[in-house]
Amino acid sequence: MANPGTPWYRMDNASVMYSAIQREEYSAIYRFSAFLHREADPDALQRAVDRAMPRFPGFAVRIRRGFFWYFFEPNPSPGPFVQPDSADPCRPVRFGEDGGWLVRFLYYGRRISLEVFHALADGAGALVFFRAVLAEYFRQLGEDIPADCAVNLDEEPSRGEIEDAYRRYAGKVSRRQLGIKRAYQDLGTPEPFYTFHVTMGFVPIAQLKSRAKELGGTITEYLAAVLMHLLLQKQAQERPRRQLPVTLGIPVNLRQYFPTETLRNFIMTVQVSADPSLGEYSLAELVSLVRCQLRLHGSPQELRAVMTRGVRLQYNPLLKVIPRGIKNLIMLRSYPKNGVRPYTATFTNPGYFALPEPMARHVAHMEVVLGQAAVPRPHVSAIGYGDTMEITVSGVQRENDLEREFFRFLVREGLHVRVESNRL
Amino acid sequence: MSYCVNCGVELGAGAGKCPLCGTAVVNPACPPDSAAEPFFPTRREEVAPVSRREAGLLLSAMFASVTVCCAVLNLIFYRELWWSFFPGGAAVMLWVWFALPLLCRSLSPWYRLTLDTLAIAVYVLLIAFAVHGLSWYFRIALPIFLFVTAVCPTEIWLLRYRRPSILTSIILVLLTVGVLTAVVELVCDLYISGAWRPGWSLIVLISCAGLCIPLIVIRRVPSLREEARRRFHL
Repeated sequence: MANPGTPWYRMDNASVMYSAIQREEYSAIYRFSAFLHREADPDALQRAVDRAMPRFPGFAVRIRRGFFWYFFEPNPSPGPFVQPDSADPCRPVRFGEDGGWLVRFLYYGRRISLEVFHALADGAGALVFFRAVLAEYFRQLGEDIPADCAVNLDEEPSRGEIEDAYRRYAGKVSRRQLGIKRAYQDLGTPEPFYTFHVTMGFVPIAQLKSRAKELGGTITEYLAAVLMHLLLQKQAQERPRRQLPVTLGIPVNLRQYFPTETLRNFIMTVQVSADPSLGEYSLAELVSLVRCQLRLHGSPQELRAVMTRGVRLQYNPLLKVIPRGIKNLIMLRSYPKNGVRPYTATFTNPGYFALPEPMARHVAHMEVVLGQAAVPRPHVSAIGYGDTMEITVSGVQRENDLEREFFRFLVREGLHVRVESNRL
Repeated sequence: MSYCVNCGVELGAGAGKCPLCGTAVVNPACPPDSAAEPFFPTRREEVAPVSRREAGLLLSAMFASVTVCCAVLNLIFYRELWWSFFPGGAAVMLWVWFALPLLCRSLSPWYRLTLDTLAIAVYVLLIAFAVHGLSWYFRIALPIFLFVTAVCPTEIWLLRYRRPSILTSIILVLLTVGVLTAVVELVCDLYISGAWRPGWSLIVLISCAGLCIPLIVIRRVPSLREEARRRFHL
């Protein structure tokens, strides 16, 4: 929550973690891209960014190193400057470089991309920001985009947009997340620093929806089930002495349960797990399993209890007085146990990105890329726009067996898949 | 448009091969459009490494400052003992451990390890000098340091560049530990009583040898080796 009278404000629960696990070769970064019908104009984009940044104070910040915590403070540096895109997206950020900016705007051909350090905002918040920048970009090109198509840049930013919603909704009951067990690790060979592989598949939403419905689930549940099915198969082929559960981390947008205006982080990762020691699973059973577990562990009560635990830890008087360096070291050391080993992969679906008609006619499709994981394993993300679902498999691992099997599986399911990749 | 004959996915207009399986696109009706702009940029951009030199210089200045301050204080307080050798030597040792790798990025690991061990040897020499214990230094500490300095880099070189199998590596490490304990006891015995009386080191050496025997058997028997490799994903 912002402190009255001070320009800086505290990090939220998720930001503290993402900042603490930041390393020279790793940052929690994600990217949204809009693929347009015509070439991107960097000058117009720069003008749009310059106009949009003051309206979104939560993104126009840099990280200030306090003795006990990191803080956000308004960034007085010029920028952020739009830059040409490079082959490897989601490069790590450095707090002291590039003017301290934690967002990047990139352009390449018909693509405009926004990269965000996860400590600033979650996907839902970043999409609100990106929509406003896109609207302004089209206006700069002379298009007639009504003010109600996105956040009005002439309005004053509301304080609610930078509220720490975790703290607001923390309840009385605190609980550790259940089921933190060691999961199967689908680790690959890491590529040299800094190489990042991205493979995108484009699937018609109608076909996906229809197939998911046949199996009794939503698109998210179906795609998560396919991923689990392939990971279970992969583990079985490796013939381990003891098969471990395959667990996906699926971020849940908490705004659907706890209303807030905040554009900062307000998500929580729900574990969805299939234990191969219980026997084999059909795809329909996996869809049902994902569906049930998402509802069970994604209940408002459980989410609030887990959220409360995180907030209480952050505001614990004893933990507060530990210097930042030690706190960061502890979080960095405990992250493999709490954030890596319990998960086989992460699957995120920020949902359907809808644009009003005056903007939609300029955008061909949307893309999402989840930046590198802390270990060489794939991340899967998906975003829907128009009649196309874009699915990205990304990671620093050399092997591409998971993405190959994933898209082949969708083809065998009768879906039309178009594939693009930055693998040479 | 072309489709991969292996994967069944539609490929981009400019794709010469399938990005999933590498199968070449051979489509006379629609050959790959080499003039088409690639879907992803091809310009590579490395992230500049963080400047370690500044950090190294800062650390060097801090260690030098501690050494000088202690040396000046030693001239005023407790002048009968050269106590400034302790913090000064520690500062030199820590400089070799932490600041030197930052200043010389290309320092090879075994060269660094040798320097680290020598830094400990020099530090202990300073302590020995300060407490008038050069006798035990030259007869116990120095031989052990020399042995460690010779063995550790050699072993790292062997493991890194000869790339033995995991089993051979474990055997090598275990045997080294066993031999090292034997050498430590030998040196101590020679200093104390002038003769080698093998005792506790023999137990460690035999334990290490005992641990190695099953590993050597697995290493030598192909069927066992394959089973272990399969079970442990080696």
